[in-house]
Amino acid sequence: MKIGRKRKSKAEIPTASMSDIAFLLIIFFMATTKFDVKEGIRMVLPQAAPDDAQKTETITLTEKEMTRIQITPTGLIAINNDAPADIDTRRLDAIISQKLNENGEMIFRVITDRDAKYNDMIRVVDRLKAANVEKISLSTN
Amino acid sequence: MAKIKKERQNYTNIPTSSMSDIAFLLLLFFMVSTVFVQEKQFWVEREAWPLAESIERIPRNHTTTIYVMRDETILIDDIPTRIDTEEDVFVSDTLIKKRNDDPDLVVCFRTHRETKYGAMSDVMRQLQAANTLLVAFETQRRQQ
Repeated sequence: MKIGRKRKSKAEIPTASMSDIAFLLIIFFMATTKFDVKEGIRMVLPQAAPDDAQKTETITLTEKEMTRIQITPTGLIAINNDAPADIDTRRLDAIISQKLNENGEMIFRVITDRDAKYNDMIRVVDRLKAANVEKISLSTN
Repeated sequence: MAKIKKERQNYTNIPTSSMSDIAFLLLLFFMVSTVFVQEKQFWVEREAWPLAESIERIPRNHTTTIYVMRDETILIDDIPTRIDTEEDVFVSDTLIKKRNDDPDLVVCFRTHRETKYGAMSDVMRQLQAANTLLVAFETQRRQQ
């Protein structure tokens, strides 16, 4: 009499579709990920003035050392004591480079009116940064 | 008689057994490199930011974002506030706490381009009071 051998059935987890699942997950992550890259103009603010007024030291700077750039509420720009004028980017670049030629260590003080647009301040600071100016002071009136 | 040999056809198979490994590697890369935005909402859309050319990347690790909206509402951690009076120290108090947690904190401004500069000036005064001096004005990149 023939005795039949019992066949052992192997239990296997099918892995063929594993890559499909993985790719589906990747596509989900790629589709839902929103890259929020932070880009902008970096600056370091000066330290707050100490409460004791006696500790502060007043330094008087001349036009050879500091250039004042005033921004009016209407977006006009006044350089030092000049009358406010509509200065385009190219003209602003020329003025900045001229001032830097006069003094490589020139301090630029950007005085923005409280009612002026933030965009106008950024436009001036952007041109100063483009000219590699390191000494920029922000203030308002 | 010469025997004519049948040409054997070579089947080219691309091995796909490592496909799942590659897929999981990519998946892990995305999962590790993804940084979730902490703010619940972009209060000032990117299209409303000012344009600039000389901008640089700001690493996200040590940053916090302040939104300044067109109506001068200021949002820190999705909490709206206004700096109308000198006594309003909410901004500086919040920033002092943040700066104590991270001394290299950079405050990023997401400000609407039409916002009046006065609001920005007030916030910056609060930053100085909190001794949080590293700031970044987020802008869109203008094509040169």
